[in-house]
Amino acid sequence: MVGLSLGEEHFIQGGIAQDLRSDGRKRLTYRPIYVETGVIPQANGSARVMLGKTDVVSSVKAELGKPSSLQPDKGKVAIHVDCSTTAAPMFEGRGGEELSTELSVALQHCLLGAKSGAGAGIDLSSLIVVEGKICWDLYIDCLVVCLDGNLLDALGAAIKAALSNTGIPRVHVAAGALGDEQPEVDISEEEFLQFDTSDIPVIVTLTKVGRHYIVDATSEEESQMSSAVSISVNRKGHICGLIKRGGAGLDPGIILDMMSVVKHVSEQLINKLDSEIAASEAGAEES
Amino acid sequence: MREIELSLNQTQKIRLKRALEKLESLSSKANYNSNASVSISDSIPVNHEDGVLKGHGTLDLNGELVATLCGVVERVNKLVYVRALRARYKPEVGDIVVGRVSEVAQKRWRLDIHYSQDAVLMLSSMNLPDGIQRRRTALDELNMRSIFEENDVICAEVRGIQHDGLHLQARSQKYGKLERGQLLTVPPYLVRRRKQHFHHLEQYGVDLILGCNGFIWVGEHVEAKDDMVEDQVSKPEQQNIKSNKNSISLEEQEQTYTPIETRQSICRIANAVRVLSILGFNINIEVIMDTMNLSSSLNLDIHEMLGSEFCVLVAEGEAERRSLTKKKG
Repeated sequence: MVGLSLGEEHFIQGGIAQDLRSDGRKRLTYRPIYVETGVIPQANGSARVMLGKTDVVSSVKAELGKPSSLQPDKGKVAIHVDCSTTAAPMFEGRGGEELSTELSVALQHCLLGAKSGAGAGIDLSSLIVVEGKICWDLYIDCLVVCLDGNLLDALGAAIKAALSNTGIPRVHVAAGALGDEQPEVDISEEEFLQFDTSDIPVIVTLTKVGRHYIVDATSEEESQMSSAVSISVNRKGHICGLIKRGGAGLDPGIILDMMSVVKHVSEQLINKLDSEIAASEAGAEES
Repeated sequence: MREIELSLNQTQKIRLKRALEKLESLSSKANYNSNASVSISDSIPVNHEDGVLKGHGTLDLNGELVATLCGVVERVNKLVYVRALRARYKPEVGDIVVGRVSEVAQKRWRLDIHYSQDAVLMLSSMNLPDGIQRRRTALDELNMRSIFEENDVICAEVRGIQHDGLHLQARSQKYGKLERGQLLTVPPYLVRRRKQHFHHLEQYGVDLILGCNGFIWVGEHVEAKDDMVEDQVSKPEQQNIKSNKNSISLEEQEQTYTPIETRQSICRIANAVRVLSILGFNINIEVIMDTMNLSSSLNLDIHEMLGSEFCVLVAEGEAERRSLTKKKG
């Protein structure tokens, strides 16, 4: 990331204070979102999301596995993020690992809820095939291709889009399996079940610069931040996860204020994202 | 068709394609035969009896002159060379460039100007803050950081290419540190060399500097001040802003922010440059003003200028403008 001179930093802070950022956006306006689904044909579901110059690709692969003995009625989901070397020179070799682990943990926190599976944004019980014996394991992998700020929001949107594009094959279980035996399964090649994504939350990151917060910061604006709070909200307006980054401390009143701002912003974002995903799926069906 | 990074729906794609095709057909009519564009391993038509000089981008292969670059063939008397269209910035003496300080070294600053090496601005090529012409002493060298620091944006002129790199000079009042604005990066081949690179837009109060290296500065207008007269008054002010950054309260900082109308003009001009850069059009002051006027006449919000609809409109407007000028000329 290129450094900024004092004059430029002053200009950016002034813009945020006056509600007119460097590219003309208001404090709570998102950059144009572009969603493309089905970019990886070998995966069960995939999507690419471009938020301004930030570019992320997400893919979902489903495999049959055994549910854990603690939660025999729930499937498993694993989320992993990889920062590609093309995104920034500092990601060469193992340089991107710190950021990747931070993002993976944040996404698991926001979308998968607690270890017991309670409060998950993704409904894990829909992944079960035979209770206690067979379930679907979803492996969600994300790749950061280009970075220009606001990675968490883009990744959250990409995962949501990839999951709406996911088709899980229908499984026929041979009847008559007793006790501990593994039942025989027949994975259908043709019939697919679309994953239900209406309850999946989106992530909105509020970056605090000076006295004001902005939504969808570019990397220049992020270099000026004192702290950032990422909140994942679902369609009902319920908060599914909350992460705070940055060194500065925040007054509890500010956090409550941020939550109400996020609830308001997330409605527009969810609608915009849903319409983009639908448009992209429709476009894919035509061609 | 060029790869343009925009998300367009079907009708927008068709309109953009049509506008770009129109522009291509207009430009190809202007090309003479000898200025044919070549790609790698195309043979260059040349009269061998004339004793031709083989320049850059050519290779003598089995008696044939073959191009090693993709570009346009240029002929100057007996010299034949291929000029690449999309090369890295190639500096020439007298170019105005905008750069960012990457290092403060012994008696010089190293600037990043998007070239294959860092440019060098010698301490002796820079006017001292007190304006007196004198020999630079060791004390001046120690105080270099008070003139320019790391990551500062500076406007300068290319003095020449010497053995240790590209040298710049910033002796005149119009060169120097740029503050209170934003720096944009565009591909360098979009900024052609012209007589004027500094533009002061009076009706908006905005300074626009088109650096030949692809760095474009859009900022609040700053009067070029006379160092010797203003020395006593401005020095304490500058030190206040720079060194006491943390102790200035938010209210004081807010008073020094750019006024909102100037900021709106700055953002509009910056977005016009961004749109032109996405479309790959040449960037000069007339095109920027046309794009600005188009966006104001459509009453677009400033951030909507970066949307796909406006980009398509700009492409169509440019095709119209060029076909009109062709008909007149």
